[in-house]
Amino acid sequence: MSINVLLIDDSAVMRAIALKSLQMSGVPLGTVHQAANGVDGLAVLHQHWVDLILLDVSMPFMRGDEMLEQMRADPALAGTPVVVVTSERGTERVTRMQELGAVHLPKPFTPEQLRDVVRDVTGVRS
Amino acid sequence: MSVKASTSGLIVVGLGEMQVSADPGATLITYALGSCLGVAVYDPVARVGGMLHALLPHIELDPVRARDQPAMFVESGLPALFRACYAQGARKERLVVHLAGAGANTIPERDHFEIGRRNLLMARKLFWKNSILVSGQDVGGNAPRTLSLRMDTGAATVRSAGSSIQL
Repeated sequence: MSINVLLIDDSAVMRAIALKSLQMSGVPLGTVHQAANGVDGLAVLHQHWVDLILLDVSMPFMRGDEMLEQMRADPALAGTPVVVVTSERGTERVTRMQELGAVHLPKPFTPEQLRDVVRDVTGVRS
Repeated sequence: MSVKASTSGLIVVGLGEMQVSADPGATLITYALGSCLGVAVYDPVARVGGMLHALLPHIELDPVRARDQPAMFVESGLPALFRACYAQGARKERLVVHLAGAGANTIPERDHFEIGRRNLLMARKLFWKNSILVSGQDVGGNAPRTLSLRMDTGAATVRSAGSSIQL
C-alpha cells in the first residue's frame, strides 16, 4: 500500500529535505503534496486524500497548531495522522498538538528518525 | 580485493585502512576508534561485508595521500569501501550500514579541530547525497571504541569502556 503525504512548512528547503528523507525511507509513496502554511494545507486536504501530514508549527497566515485545531473539528479530517516537525520543544503549542493526537518529531531530524516515525504512525513498511 | 582471515577468523582493519570479505567464517575488526570513524557495511544476501577506519574527513587535507591511501579519509574511503563491496557482489540497496567512533578529545579545550564531529558530518553528507540510511551508530563521547562485524550474520558490535553493544 502506498501512502499520500502532505508536507506543510514555510521553508521550501525543509520541504525538500523531508521529501528526500521520505524517498530514502523505503516507505511506498503515492502522491506527495506540499503547502507553505496552514491555509494552503487545508485547501489541499479538501481536494485530495492524504494518509499522513508532516506539519510545521510556526508559519505565516495559519500556524500548524491552528490548522490542527481546525482539522480535529472537521469529521472528514479529524482522523488524519499528523507528525509535528518543529524545532520547538515542550512549548504550549507543541503540547497542545500532542494532546490532539499529533506525534512530535524535533528538528533537526535524521532520515532514519523520519522513517521510524512514519512507520510507527502509518504502520506501513517498505 | 578480499583478504583471508587469520586462523582466529579475525581480519584486522588498521588505521587508515579498509578490508572487504566474503568469508562467512571471518570477523572484521578495528581497534582504537577515537575521533576516527569506523564504518561497517554488510550485504545479507551476498554475504559480503567491509569495514573502513578513516582518520580524517576531507581529501583536500592531503590529496596525494588520498590518492595513494583513500581509506585514510572519509571522503575518499567511503566510496572506495562501497565500490570494493560491489566488486564482491554486494548491492547498494541491500547494504546495512553501521557507524562507530567520531569521538571528541577528552579535554574539550584541546578539541579545536573537532575531527570526530567533522568525520561524522562528512559521512552523513555522503550518505545523504547517495540516499543511504544508517541502520545503527555509536558515535560521539570520548571513550575509544572497537568495532567488529561478523561475516556470517552481519552483526556489528561496539566494545567500549568494558561494555559491548550490538548496533
